[in-house]
Amino acid sequence: MNSAQPFFDFTSVWSSMPILLKGFAIAMACATVAIIIAILLGLIVALMRLSRVKILRWIAFIYTQFFRGIPLYVLIIWVYFGLAIAAGVNLPAIPAGIITLALLNSGYLSETFRSGILAVNKGQIEAGMALGLSRRNVMLHIVLPQAFRVIIPPLGNQYVDAIKDTAILSIIGVPELMRESKALANLYYRPFEFYTFAGLLYLFAVLVVSRGVSVLEKKLSAHSAQTTVIIDVLN
Amino acid sequence: MSSPVSAPDALAPDFLKLVGVSKTFGNHRVLDKIDLAVSEGEVLVIIGPSGSGKSTLLRCINFIAAPDEGEVIFQGHSWKAMSSKYNFLANRKYEQKLTVLRSEIGMVFQNFNVFPHMTAAQNVMLGLTKVRKQSKDNARKAAVEALSQVGLAEKVDQYPEKLSGGQKQRVAIARALALQPKVMLFDEATSSLDPELVNGILEEIRRLAKAGMTMVVVTHEMNFAFQVAHRIVFMDQGRIVEIGTPDQIRKTTEPRTRSFLSAILN
Repeated sequence: MNSAQPFFDFTSVWSSMPILLKGFAIAMACATVAIIIAILLGLIVALMRLSRVKILRWIAFIYTQFFRGIPLYVLIIWVYFGLAIAAGVNLPAIPAGIITLALLNSGYLSETFRSGILAVNKGQIEAGMALGLSRRNVMLHIVLPQAFRVIIPPLGNQYVDAIKDTAILSIIGVPELMRESKALANLYYRPFEFYTFAGLLYLFAVLVVSRGVSVLEKKLSAHSAQTTVIIDVLN
Repeated sequence: MSSPVSAPDALAPDFLKLVGVSKTFGNHRVLDKIDLAVSEGEVLVIIGPSGSGKSTLLRCINFIAAPDEGEVIFQGHSWKAMSSKYNFLANRKYEQKLTVLRSEIGMVFQNFNVFPHMTAAQNVMLGLTKVRKQSKDNARKAAVEALSQVGLAEKVDQYPEKLSGGQKQRVAIARALALQPKVMLFDEATSSLDPELVNGILEEIRRLAKAGMTMVVVTHEMNFAFQVAHRIVFMDQGRIVEIGTPDQIRKTTEPRTRSFLSAILN
């Protein structure tokens, strides 16, 4: 037993710290850029879902179902290899990874936005209309600001998911935390230590994001939404 | 008790008129071919049991609920029910035009509908900047002025959350009046208020009546209705049963009006 390696030996992890932190930074950057794009796409799709035009509603519905239903693993292969084969578009790994995450998350976020928008009291919209505001201004100044408050917690959850999902970008060669951990684990024969450390970094990121979300939530609910009162239009 | 305000000239041309306005929700015909004319400066009070279509009638005047049939004539301009539900572009264009009508008509709701994410002043400023295209500075001045007139000078920068029901309703009234509407619609403006706050809001409406504002008021406050109205409309089941001066309505022989009044006045 005297020649056996110690059970836990994090020396190689410490010495690889710059590579690991760089991988972590790339993962965070991918998740952040992807979630920002997903918010914009998700909002557009949600507004289409709520449109009075049937075709737009249908397109949005199919979009949502598709990107919520497809596994990340398959989608990433399609975007990275499929686009290259079918359309000759050779995306570098990082943009392909970001696009994949953005599409996938936009599917979920469009539903989040939709429910947030629908949660705004109908009376608020009527009050805006009664002032003579255009539909656009009612949406922009009355509905969306109130919807946004409701969706901050699920938005935070989505961001957390996106951070963890970056691990799968390793399969197309994005040099993010998981890929670097795997390479180093193989190099030093220390899989347990490297994966554990990677896990701790993800956990750290998620805790920071969750904390940020709850701070933002408290700040915005300082003047909270009016209690929803259902108006009896027949009165 | 006679009306405290002199009745408007009976011969004045119709200022606001509904012609054959109908509205159906599902299978329920909420409004059935309503004809109604309001003169400039008139205070018209609509009474009737729940579900009689009072609120919907009010909402049809500014197309918050678009009529299915009929037209609304306001200051000589006709606003017809939308011809087709399926012509999206035409409807969208029409809806854009309707903002002109709506901006001339102020509306106060039962549930206040103040914007909770804006201060009292911001609530009032929104219409001034976005509809009247005023600068922020001018809008702010006008908002402070409008809020002061309803007794909220001290609350200008408060969020609705910090205001009582009565104060919220005052913000809503100031918000509507700031746009200097030609007509005010009140949809059971006191029904959600605690009893001790009701009189304050009724006083605001009375003040407007004295200032000569044209108003259509839906209310359950019968004493108030009989005091302030030039004419009272009694509605039941989507139809106008009877229109008359407060005295005429009080002495009516129409059985449905009588049974409603005797039920509510006891």
